[in-house]
Amino acid sequence: MSTATILRSATLISSKLFTSAATKRSILFQTRLPLRAAALSVGSSSDDGGGGRNYLMLSDEQLMGQCEMDTFKASGPGGQHRNKRESAVRLKHIPTGVIAQATEDRSQHKNRASALARMRTMLALKVRNELDLESYTPPLELLQILPRKSTIREADVGPQIGPNNPKFALGMQALLDLMVAVNGSVSDAAKLLGLSTGALSRLILSDDSLRREVNELRESKGMRPLK
Amino acid sequence: MTLSVFRAIHTAVSPHSLIFRRSRASFCCSVNRPSSSSSAVSATPVSTVRIPLFLREATGTATISELHAWRKWAQTLVSSVGSKFEDADNGPGPELLCREIRWMLEDVVEANLDVVNRLSDETAFGKDGDVVRLRAGLDELYCLWEERIEKRRPFQYLVGCDHWRDLVVCVQEGVLIPRPETEMIVDMVEEVVSRDKRLAEGIWADLGTGSGALGIGIARILRNGGKVVATDISEVAISVASFNVNRYGLQDKIELRQGSWFEPLEDVKGKLSGLVSNPPYIPSMNIAGLQAEVGQHEPRLALDGGKDGLDYLLHLCENSALALESGGFFAFETNGGSQSKFIADVMTNRSNFSFRDVKIVADLSGIQRFVTGFRQ
Ligand SMILES: C[S@@+](CC[C@H](N)C(=O)[O-])C[C@H]1O[C@@H](n2cnc3c(N)ncnc32)[C@H](O)[C@@H]1O
Repeated sequence: MSTATILRSATLISSKLFTSAATKRSILFQTRLPLRAAALSVGSSSDDGGGGRNYLMLSDEQLMGQCEMDTFKASGPGGQHRNKRESAVRLKHIPTGVIAQATEDRSQHKNRASALARMRTMLALKVRNELDLESYTPPLELLQILPRKSTIREADVGPQIGPNNPKFALGMQALLDLMVAVNGSVSDAAKLLGLSTGALSRLILSDDSLRREVNELRESKGMRPLK
Repeated sequence: MTLSVFRAIHTAVSPHSLIFRRSRASFCCSVNRPSSSSSAVSATPVSTVRIPLFLREATGTATISELHAWRKWAQTLVSSVGSKFEDADNGPGPELLCREIRWMLEDVVEANLDVVNRLSDETAFGKDGDVVRLRAGLDELYCLWEERIEKRRPFQYLVGCDHWRDLVVCVQEGVLIPRPETEMIVDMVEEVVSRDKRLAEGIWADLGTGSGALGIGIARILRNGGKVVATDISEVAISVASFNVNRYGLQDKIELRQGSWFEPLEDVKGKLSGLVSNPPYIPSMNIAGLQAEVGQHEPRLALDGGKDGLDYLLHLCENSALALESGGFFAFETNGGSQSKFIADVMTNRSNFSFRDVKIVADLSGIQRFVTGFRQ
């Protein structure tokens, strides 16, 4: 196992999850909260790009298996006593402490599915894979979310994947990894992606959560937010 | 627009509300009451079931701005309620009520969600003359929401359905609205049958099936050969359940039988692979304090579990050993806390050791909701 995750909270599930020799590292990027180191791996031995990316590669069932599920605080005895559609679901991803919830669907079952979908986005946003800029080549999932005019994007990458596509999360994660590696500089990242600074800015601004995450990063580095 | 104006206009009774004969008023709660002949229900008395909004034909129309006005009006009523319901009996707050307005539009408007989304767009207000088709008249919409607020009629009865697990279950007055907590029983059954193919092909019973939610959820995860026998003493429940069973095309997998608890199960005695039930478990003294949606609108027959709420749960405990085959699984929903401890204790220690692996399982809010186990 060669992945490690730096966590916001050092909740260690079991000692077998410890790993010390980390070549690539994924860190939980949280600008507002202090980072605390704790090394954890994802439990998958195949290393294809770091812990955070591995989480997103899991099937729904596998990812659910890493989550703790609860509803919001029990108000009273519930069950037959209540008609309040208390079908809200909250998921906590145990390895990283990331939380996702869903309340607006009408059944608990659907809220669970929505919360899980949201968990993927949250993991993409919050769990960082460290990368080596020297030898950097953008992974396929990042190329897929780039506009066609990118000079490093070959035709066989296929049509551009937009924010409404579930696959966008993976590309977004890879883009955030890069943004962290270049310390928030859009022009540096744009160069590596074969895009103009303006085109990359537009891509970042096309998704609210992506924009928020990039701007948090930029603010933490004392840069102006993208607008 | 004031409430009273609409009250004056909206007096017509919807053609769909062929109201049910209330279930036998003289029903006696004792589980030992002499058996009324239990009967299998074959022909579906669908005519007596009220068709939920989302299944009706869209014969009405309204413009987007008319719907927008309705939504505004409905929200005004919600604001006038504020936290009154919450404070009075832990009822719904404004956030939930507003969500219900949206859900109601989803069921009523025959169009894609875009239209419903457009309704929350303030810029569309007053200008939008596009006509959309509705599954209920605008009048009825006003009436229904007024009932929601003034009478605290449950949202699920207004629209005639409840989204439960991956199902949309039709409900109406006289039948308990399935609770989200109960969804978990299906998950537990799914786990058990995924591990034991024999159970997946066996006969399962859902006692006190109400709308049929549990029985349907289970029938859909059993394998070929697996069957569910679902019972209820209430005629309304049996009719609504059979409507739901038909809607999911499960007539061949689920048999509905009217009668008290185990009475209709004589022919499958000792042969059941599984037994699930969410029997009435609220202690009688707590009925009066229930939130209005429950206490004033849902059938007492579905809620009142006698003095400690244990009457029917104990009846289930006493009879499960004889009903289940060896290795058969049971899951009961309880009121939580001491009730589940008590039931688990009965199943473990006072059943001549007929059961193994008796467990208390918490619901998603952490309440010790279920008792499960296996027949030795
Ligand atoms: C709490 S409700 C549960 C309904 C449904 N299983 C659910 O979970 O939504 C209890 C059900 O037990 C039924 N019931 C009450 N007394 C009964 C009896 N003596 N025999 C069979 N069913 C009974 C009620 O009619 C009601 O449908």
